[in-house]
Amino acid sequence: MSSPPVTGPAAVPRHRGGPGPTRFRPRRTPPPGAVRVRRRGVLSHWRQYLAISPFYLVFLAFSFFPVLYSLYLAFQRWDGIGDMHFVGLQEFRFLWKDPVFWLSIRNTLVIWVLSTVPTLVGALVLATLLHSVRRFKGFYRIALYVPNVTSIVAVAIFFGAVFSNNFGLVNAILGTVGISPVPWLSNPWLIKLVIALLMTWMWTGYNMIIYLAGLQTIPKEIYEAAKLDGAGPVRTFLQITMPIMRPIILFTVIISTINGLQSFSEPQILFASEAANPSLGGPGQAGLTTLLYFYQSAFVNNDYGYGAAIVWAFFVLIIVLVLINWRIVQRGRKT
Amino acid sequence: MDLSRRRFLQAAALTAAAAGATAACGGSSGSSGSKDDKDLTLWYWGGALSDKVVAEAKTHFSGQVKLTTNSIGGDFKQKLTTTLAAGAAVPDITGIKGEDIASFLPNGSRFLDLNDLGFKKLSSQYLDWKTKLAQTTDGKQIGFPIDIGPTALYYRADLFDKAGLPSDPAKVAAETKTWDDYYALGAELKKALPGTYLINNLGSVFNIAVGQGTKRFIDENNHFIGDQDHIRAAWDLSVRPYQLGLDGKINDNTHNAALSKGTLTTELGAAWHALDIEQAAPNTKGKWHVSPNPGGPANQGGSYLALPKQCRNPEEAFKIISWILNPANDARGFTDAAIFPACPAAYAMPAMTGPDAFFGGQKIIEVFGPAAEAIPASYEAPADAAVMAPYLTELTNIEAKGKKPDDAWKDAVSQAKQIGQRQGVS
Repeated sequence: MSSPPVTGPAAVPRHRGGPGPTRFRPRRTPPPGAVRVRRRGVLSHWRQYLAISPFYLVFLAFSFFPVLYSLYLAFQRWDGIGDMHFVGLQEFRFLWKDPVFWLSIRNTLVIWVLSTVPTLVGALVLATLLHSVRRFKGFYRIALYVPNVTSIVAVAIFFGAVFSNNFGLVNAILGTVGISPVPWLSNPWLIKLVIALLMTWMWTGYNMIIYLAGLQTIPKEIYEAAKLDGAGPVRTFLQITMPIMRPIILFTVIISTINGLQSFSEPQILFASEAANPSLGGPGQAGLTTLLYFYQSAFVNNDYGYGAAIVWAFFVLIIVLVLINWRIVQRGRKT
Repeated sequence: MDLSRRRFLQAAALTAAAAGATAACGGSSGSSGSKDDKDLTLWYWGGALSDKVVAEAKTHFSGQVKLTTNSIGGDFKQKLTTTLAAGAAVPDITGIKGEDIASFLPNGSRFLDLNDLGFKKLSSQYLDWKTKLAQTTDGKQIGFPIDIGPTALYYRADLFDKAGLPSDPAKVAAETKTWDDYYALGAELKKALPGTYLINNLGSVFNIAVGQGTKRFIDENNHFIGDQDHIRAAWDLSVRPYQLGLDGKINDNTHNAALSKGTLTTELGAAWHALDIEQAAPNTKGKWHVSPNPGGPANQGGSYLALPKQCRNPEEAFKIISWILNPANDARGFTDAAIFPACPAAYAMPAMTGPDAFFGGQKIIEVFGPAAEAIPASYEAPADAAVMAPYLTELTNIEAKGKKPDDAWKDAVSQAKQIGQRQGVS
């Protein structure tokens, strides 16, 4: 097989009006007369490569290089301006012994679970509801998607005001029904809950749009058949919608894992640091996510080597979690 | 396809490298060249200098140089660090915040020694302890002091009256000479006015208590001393209001609301904090007064101007900063932007001696002026701020989680030691 393969769809027009059977099947060999020796390699496609190159150039300069450089930094001690000192695995040894690092991992995982589960379940339910809506479709879609395109900073400031311990809206409403003020922004668990709520609010709409797109590709005939067989809405949802949507759910789970574990702006804005206390993450560091701890180590404490070590350790953790997720969502596919 | 993709990546990498090299050349051309350039740039942040004085500086020096000023928003230290590390498009004059100056000192070679340019002759006009904080270990003067933050006790005179306590600044000063007196007064206030608190949070006391001493967390030999008695004493002092029920435990964004609602009867803070109170609680105008800090003054913040070594015209740049920060102009900074000058000569100028309407017509310089000169000189190590953070965090843990103060102390010390170790403190 030395000749370049000719793919089906591209080949079809050539055969339009040709002999019957070959029309629907891609041919392994080019038809006689159409043989053209193509130039191989980069040059023949230079226009296409040029067209997509801006993204890759920017990516190389601002993402790929920094990623590699941070790996290099993880083995150095560096204050950002002065000389670097090679310290081997010392930064990782510090990491292992650092209780704040482990606290930040725990915080991140708790916030991730608290936000991802309601986000995805809520998005699926909303998408199903929206799928059956007949009027004001566009309005609902936009209304639910708007939080996702709202500035995270604005949302965090808004949440900070609403959940404020002493003068917030939520506590004011609770007060009218006789519930004493809840310390939303100082209790370690409630802090995580508020951050998770914020993320849920922002990301439900995004996942809903993806699910909605998936739902629209399921043929109506399948639902009609199920209805004829006497399946109710819940059973239809569990036994038809869910299995067909599995790849889409897998996609959203992985994206949510990656996004949810990278929570940074939410706690950073919600518990903005003051010059008096450079520690981030709010009271008890309950909102200190791993990325926030990385930011604090590298950019507040000028300890760039340690910051790099934190993110690389975290990278390994994300990979592990994505693999676990993958296995869980894929499980049961064969049965 | 494999082969061509790899080749493509190679080509792309080469292109990127070439582009990078070009960009680097373009940027660095500004910093090289002769040392008598006519264009100078000044980086500062909103509120660091009086905008009026800066604008006048432009016209004042327009004959010699063209001064371009940039008010940099966001994380100033981070942006300056990045620019210095890149070595391109470095400003000729830059501000450095007081809390960041120590972390720049190990890289003193990135800046010009102001003593070479004539600061030696001027230095006696400025507070000695403030000048020293911007000196490297080998005696290079990196920063030209702009302002300082002498701390004092702000209090609500009207609430003091209501509680039947003396509210006259002189009498309050006599009643709050020591921290013990201050806490005793707090207990009386609390009894008379339930629901009010003496202090907003424990960290604010700790910050000041540490600043009242001559030693901090790391000594000149780069040894960790944050587990010693002087820090322990400051810690115990900070925990006391919590034990006495005088602590407002305000660690979120409700500080402003607490100020305007009168939940806080007093407030410990630097001179610049006056502006924060004014903005947070304009409705309390005239009700506040100021008296000396219990146990003596400390310093909080206060910035510097520095000349990075890429400065294109050091002589003119130094002339500009010494003009912007001369006593008369420094005093104007106080009127325009509540910047408390670092030169005592300014304290006698009319710009500063006037009565302040927000403080019920009190002449607050009478409190801050003597405080400024009484602040103890201390050594602040580059890692000081990072090492201090766990103490503040653990104080918050006491407030938020009811953590036992002794456990919190142990955790704070072990955390601080680790952070120090990571940054080369032994």
